[in-house]
Amino acid sequence: MKPKNLTLRIYLVAAVMLASGISGCKKILEEHPRSQITPQFFSTSGGILGGIAGVYSDMRNLWGTEGFTNMCVGGVDEDLVGGSGNPNFFTYKIVNGDIQPLWNIAYQDINTLNGVLEFGEKADIDDATKTQYLAQAKFLRAFYYFYLVQTYGDVPLHLDFITTASTADSRQPIKDVYAQIIKDLTEASADLPAKPAAPFLGKAATQPVAFYLLAKAYLTRGWSSAAESDDFKTAYTIASQIIQDKDNYGLGLWPDFASVNIKANDYGQETLFVIDHSSDTKYGEYTTGQFAAGPKENKTNFFFRPNYPTMNGNYPATGGGSIMTRDINNGRPFIRVRPNGPYLLHQAFADRVNDSRYDNTFQTIWIANTPGASTPRGSLSVGVDTAIWMPDSATAAQAALRVPAFKGAIVPPGPTGSWTPAFYPSLKKYDDSTRASLNDASTRPFVMFRFSDVYLLAAEAYFKAGDNGNAAAMLNVLRQRAAYKATNTPQENADAVIAQTILPSDVTLDFILDEYTRENYGNCQRWWDLVRTQSLIRRVQMYNPEAAANIQPFHVLRPIPQTQIDLVTSGPAFPQNPGY
Amino acid sequence: MRVPFKENFQKLHIRFALLKKFLPVGSLVIATLVYTLPGYAQNIIHVKGRIVNESGQPVSGASIVVKGSGTGVTSQENGSFEIDAAPKEILLVSYVGMITQELKVSASPLSVTLVSQESGLNQVVVVGYGSQKKSDITGSVVTVSSKALQETPTANIINSLKGRAAGVDIVSNSTAPGSSGQIRIRGNRSLVQEIAGNPTATAANNDALNAPLLVVDGIPYGGSVNDLNPDDISGIDILKDASATAIYGSRGSNGVLIITTNRGKSGKAVMSYNGYFGLTNALDEYKGFNGPEYAAFKDEAKAGNSVNPGTSNYGLSADETANLANGVSTDWQKLIYRQGYTTSHGLNLSGGNESTLFSLSGGYFREVGIIPGQDFTRYSLRTTIDHKISRRLKIGLNTMNSLAYTNSGGNPVGGLLRMSPLTLPYNADGSLNLLPLTGLLDAATVNPLTIIKSAGSIVNNNRRLRTFNSLYGEWEIIDGLKYRMNLGLDYRQDQSGSYLGPNTFYNNSTSLAQASESVGNAEAWTYIIENLLTYDKTFKEKHHITFTGLYSVQKDHNQASGIYGTGIPADYIQNYNLSLANTVSANTATTNPWAFSERGLISYMARLNYAYDNRYLLTATVRRDGSSVLSPGNQYFTYPAFAVGWNILNEKFMNNAGLFSALKLRGGWGLTSSQSINPYATLGLLGTNAYNFGPGTAGQNAGYLVQTLANKALKWQSTAQTNIGLDFGILQNRITGSIDVYTQRTNDILLPESLPASNGAGSTIVNAGKTKGHGVEVGISSINVRTPGGFTWSTDLNFSISREEIVALQDPTLKFDLGNGWFVGQPLSVIYDVKKTGIWQTADSAQAASFGQKPGQIRLEDISGPGNDGKPDGKITADDRQIIGNFQPQWEGGLTNRFAYKGFDLSIVMFARMGMKVVVPYLMSDGGAQGYDFFNNGRVNSLKRDYWTPTNPSNKFPRPDAASDGTNYSSTLGYVDGSFIKIRNIILGYNLPSQWLNKAGISSLRIYFSAQNPFILYSPFVKDGYGPDPEGNGYGGVSTSTVGGTPVPGRAITVNLTAPSTRQFNFGVNLKF
Repeated sequence: MKPKNLTLRIYLVAAVMLASGISGCKKILEEHPRSQITPQFFSTSGGILGGIAGVYSDMRNLWGTEGFTNMCVGGVDEDLVGGSGNPNFFTYKIVNGDIQPLWNIAYQDINTLNGVLEFGEKADIDDATKTQYLAQAKFLRAFYYFYLVQTYGDVPLHLDFITTASTADSRQPIKDVYAQIIKDLTEASADLPAKPAAPFLGKAATQPVAFYLLAKAYLTRGWSSAAESDDFKTAYTIASQIIQDKDNYGLGLWPDFASVNIKANDYGQETLFVIDHSSDTKYGEYTTGQFAAGPKENKTNFFFRPNYPTMNGNYPATGGGSIMTRDINNGRPFIRVRPNGPYLLHQAFADRVNDSRYDNTFQTIWIANTPGASTPRGSLSVGVDTAIWMPDSATAAQAALRVPAFKGAIVPPGPTGSWTPAFYPSLKKYDDSTRASLNDASTRPFVMFRFSDVYLLAAEAYFKAGDNGNAAAMLNVLRQRAAYKATNTPQENADAVIAQTILPSDVTLDFILDEYTRENYGNCQRWWDLVRTQSLIRRVQMYNPEAAANIQPFHVLRPIPQTQIDLVTSGPAFPQNPGY
Repeated sequence: MRVPFKENFQKLHIRFALLKKFLPVGSLVIATLVYTLPGYAQNIIHVKGRIVNESGQPVSGASIVVKGSGTGVTSQENGSFEIDAAPKEILLVSYVGMITQELKVSASPLSVTLVSQESGLNQVVVVGYGSQKKSDITGSVVTVSSKALQETPTANIINSLKGRAAGVDIVSNSTAPGSSGQIRIRGNRSLVQEIAGNPTATAANNDALNAPLLVVDGIPYGGSVNDLNPDDISGIDILKDASATAIYGSRGSNGVLIITTNRGKSGKAVMSYNGYFGLTNALDEYKGFNGPEYAAFKDEAKAGNSVNPGTSNYGLSADETANLANGVSTDWQKLIYRQGYTTSHGLNLSGGNESTLFSLSGGYFREVGIIPGQDFTRYSLRTTIDHKISRRLKIGLNTMNSLAYTNSGGNPVGGLLRMSPLTLPYNADGSLNLLPLTGLLDAATVNPLTIIKSAGSIVNNNRRLRTFNSLYGEWEIIDGLKYRMNLGLDYRQDQSGSYLGPNTFYNNSTSLAQASESVGNAEAWTYIIENLLTYDKTFKEKHHITFTGLYSVQKDHNQASGIYGTGIPADYIQNYNLSLANTVSANTATTNPWAFSERGLISYMARLNYAYDNRYLLTATVRRDGSSVLSPGNQYFTYPAFAVGWNILNEKFMNNAGLFSALKLRGGWGLTSSQSINPYATLGLLGTNAYNFGPGTAGQNAGYLVQTLANKALKWQSTAQTNIGLDFGILQNRITGSIDVYTQRTNDILLPESLPASNGAGSTIVNAGKTKGHGVEVGISSINVRTPGGFTWSTDLNFSISREEIVALQDPTLKFDLGNGWFVGQPLSVIYDVKKTGIWQTADSAQAASFGQKPGQIRLEDISGPGNDGKPDGKITADDRQIIGNFQPQWEGGLTNRFAYKGFDLSIVMFARMGMKVVVPYLMSDGGAQGYDFFNNGRVNSLKRDYWTPTNPSNKFPRPDAASDGTNYSSTLGYVDGSFIKIRNIILGYNLPSQWLNKAGISSLRIYFSAQNPFILYSPFVKDGYGPDPEGNGYGGVSTSTVGGTPVPGRAITVNLTAPSTRQFNFGVNLKF
């Protein structure tokens, strides 16, 4: 081979290699994501709104879920564990495993909100929109810190968008946390609109919601070790102002307590703040026909239900076959939470004649829905006969047995007022009979605050400030409303109003706490109400036979999640709350 | 071999005497050798005979020589030969690639079976960007022949590799038809739990990070091995050490599987057919309680109620009570499991002349699972062409196309185990009892038999089309200097769909408005352009140099989409028309199929092989890779590797060492990496969700949350590995083998670091952490017995010990990272939990009470008080967690025995993995989403077990407790010894005598019977009744620990309730025209 020819060939090869290489060389190493969203997106208008919507959506992971509901209503005076419930929160035996979601979700959302606030200041959008968006973000940040500080005590306080990973963190005193909550809510309440406005429709944060939370923050701080002198006064001042401006805010009480918790009024005048749900698979994050498999669904309609489909005809003896089947109206029984009968019957709802709230809170009657079902007293015709009745006293049960027409099973409370772990009156405020399928979750919003809460808050603040007169006045508004029954004659209603009216001397802390139960039984607030008022240990020991033996003074704070402690791997160790 | 054959042979003879003296153990083997002394001619015999290979095909062109003389002939096309020799003379029969045989001269016709010299040193091994003679290789490479793979006919080659090569660990991770296993070469290196950008695919990602690179005919092969028809594969070469894999640089650290497919051979066109049919049955069921046992369990749960003793929400229904009295005990699993089958047919035509070679093949494979609705079907079509355009120019194409249909049905096993045995599948009139659990809490559960009766309402399928093409042009510029261009073009498309109608076991709603349906599509393509320059030259006879240079560019693209619907007018529409659905959305609450990702890779590589006098070998490699997935500025990394080899046998001083027929020492060091992160991982990530402000559509908004923090400084992780190996052949390669010892260190491991939740995002990706590993691998093949009568017994044995260990975590001072489950000094995945020591017994009730426990509950070891002070404090808390075990076997091995006599062949494949834990999520329950819901409260049936009662003081399982679904500390029940020894396959074949076949124009016909997974020889897991098979079948499902934290990382393989493993009996045919 001739050298010249050889050289030529080598050049040729080199040229081919270079040509095929250079073409794609640089470009192929560039990254252009198309199906993912990076944090830079927060610097756009859509990103800021999306960040706020994302946080609201994330709240669905807490309110309405089983674990968080246990945390709200487990281990208080109102409730006992249902026959299929997880006893951990209810009995204070072990509380470690279940407290993680609130912590994790709150901080993930807080960081997102910090991003929204940081990028939002610089974003290229009109001022009115910007003000509205940032006020939402401040409200939500304060909202989460408020739950964190009440639940865990000293907590990390992050106010800047974290962009660099760190495995160190520390807890800040509650004083600083409350100061920040009050600052954020003060600013938010100045900028939020009086009534819901697009794009934050429904019952998202508005000015009165921010005021309510601000008043509650003052009230809570007033009870705490970080109290400042005027906290209770500030609290009732703000609360009274909300009541005074109620027309401006489009708020008001329904005249009949029976209207309060029905689906049609979910977005009505008495609703302050909700976490929205819908049957939309995308925006409602809702599943159908899959046993309510979605993690962000409102399943409160399951938890408080007794095991009615297993009620047997011969009850209380065995045998006889089941006389009810599950249906949409009566709901899917999870049997997680049951009412603490003695406390409710003998204390909170002791007056079930003048006060309509017991009847409007509990389902005590199940109408037959199963063809061929029968009891020793006869066969039950579907849609006509009462299959199960849970009277509020053994005397009433005895009376019913003497009525020949009554053929259903009767489940009276036991001698002390308690029902069984499987059979008990069912909380009906979360019912949703418009679901497509029996196993589907509720499509109703989770109502977090109601306008009536403002009166309760004001009453507590006046009471703590030593003004029992105004405290009684606030409570009387709710009590007199509760006197009304549509089935009563006007005279009977008028008499009930008088019976329901209390005097300033009647107002005690326990009376207020009982009033919270009457108004709000089953709301996701009870544990914090008892902790705030420093009544948790006392009242659990007084009323809750399952938890009394185990509860300890340190239980007023939840433990820091073990994963948080495990993952703080640099700097000082992350301290656990005492006692855990 | 340097020594002329004849000369060497005589020396060998002398050596034998010595060997017998010094190696009494070896003498057993030697005694079986066929060996006789040369004799002298007396009268001449006309010897006739026929030569065939192991599979009974005639060997033409074999040489038959009278030993010590120059006389010789070659065999005819039908393998026959005739030669004259004296009675005491010896005939040497040899053929390229076969082990030479010696035969006594005899008057009767001789039948000679030549055995291939598979493990011989002249074997050509594919090493990546080229091939080398085995004697020249310096790295650790194992070759698995197609013959070995065919001994275990399965859907894909990964399953066939189980137990076949030392250091190659394959663990099942599914039992569905067409599933492959998880493959690891020399253990795990990456510490990954979850990767940003794709948080849903934990296990799959982990697999991608530790799984080896697959290369098919030189082109990196992504995606499912199920697309490859095992019939098309002529062999697999497994590169294990870094000196061998460094040429794959950023993808080489987990080892490389180089798969070579069949190509045409010059000569008469050959047509072959391989087919088999097999029946499969479940090895066993997951044994639940029978009727009376179930009732007793419920009673005990009632008695053991820890909150309200003596009460239960889960009593028997009226029907159940009646059925119990009538002796009903329904085995729901038995009603559902069916006999499955597997069938495979492949037709191949190949041939060619001096300038053009071709092969064509078509395959059909179908596996029908034991769960109704589960099957896998694959059609494959392949063509290869190699053509010489001129003396210096060659082109070729390999196009492999497959179409695969997977029907996954559903997984009913967990539901079947939960079903009450006290209920009836059929009504008295023979009709289906649609709601057998009426009267119970789970009344809505639909009869499992609807899986069969309403099969049209259950659709869960995937159709995959793949075309994998490699095209090359090779130009020999001058003698020894070649330029080659490889072009790889790969396209894969998946169309998936599902439909779940109402009134079925999988969807118990009663209305068509609750039907759910979906369609999905995913496509991926890869192109790769490789430019290779090789120069091969021998200087002055003793210096042999091979240089390889590479420049390549690769791009991968993935894209997917899907639509989900709810409600459909009629069952028969299934998912064919989602416009008829009541509601349609682009994702579900849990699944978002919409994905897009691209990654690019630019590589430069140079390799020099130098051999001096066939004695001293040197390989030096350098590769530089640039990848798009890393941060700009850190995209490139350089991987060097060096290796040396010494062919000791070729030294003059070894000339007398007649015992050895091969002896080579080799050692190497190299640096490699793995493509450990997903595209866009450096950018940070917002998670998406959605919200409706108010009930109307006006308030609907998309939402975003910060999920992963950005990291702009990510760079490559790297693994350095040192390997020393010895290859040997003894007694004319009657015994061959290799021993390898290695150590490896991985640095800068890319890992998502879990962050304290208070820092706002769950994780970020960092370059942190170091791991190391070391191990020993031994592979030995021997021909134990070979008699003149044609009987042979040969054995392949492989054995390996591999240890992995975390050396450092993200912060060098850190000794453990509990959140991620990493512990310095421990293997990469461990179980970290409180330790069960038994069950609290009645006698210890006072002590139990001090822990807040009662007799019948789980008793735990109290090892520490607050702050891990190491002093028992009388409480069970997170401080009492300890390492319970890990998933790394103490040793593993495989043993294949082959016997051949006349036309018969028998092989038995065994493999073992010993001394590791396995996690069984269905023995635990946390009352949440993990574990076995309602495990211990009597609501549903569960695995039959020895539980505590006041009269049965068991220490195994706690007393049933109707009060609680989340049995406290139940995670501690599911850590079980996973050791096993299994018979993988037994195969018996028979080659029909050619004289029968010749008339039919058939050149060879082999029929065989085989039994796959016929039985498990040893498994404490099976013995204790925990399930049919200790091998894993999935990931996750593990309960959280009652004291807090996750005891087992999501990357660990677990044994879940999925289709039981099967036993399969096959009948097969190998036919050649």
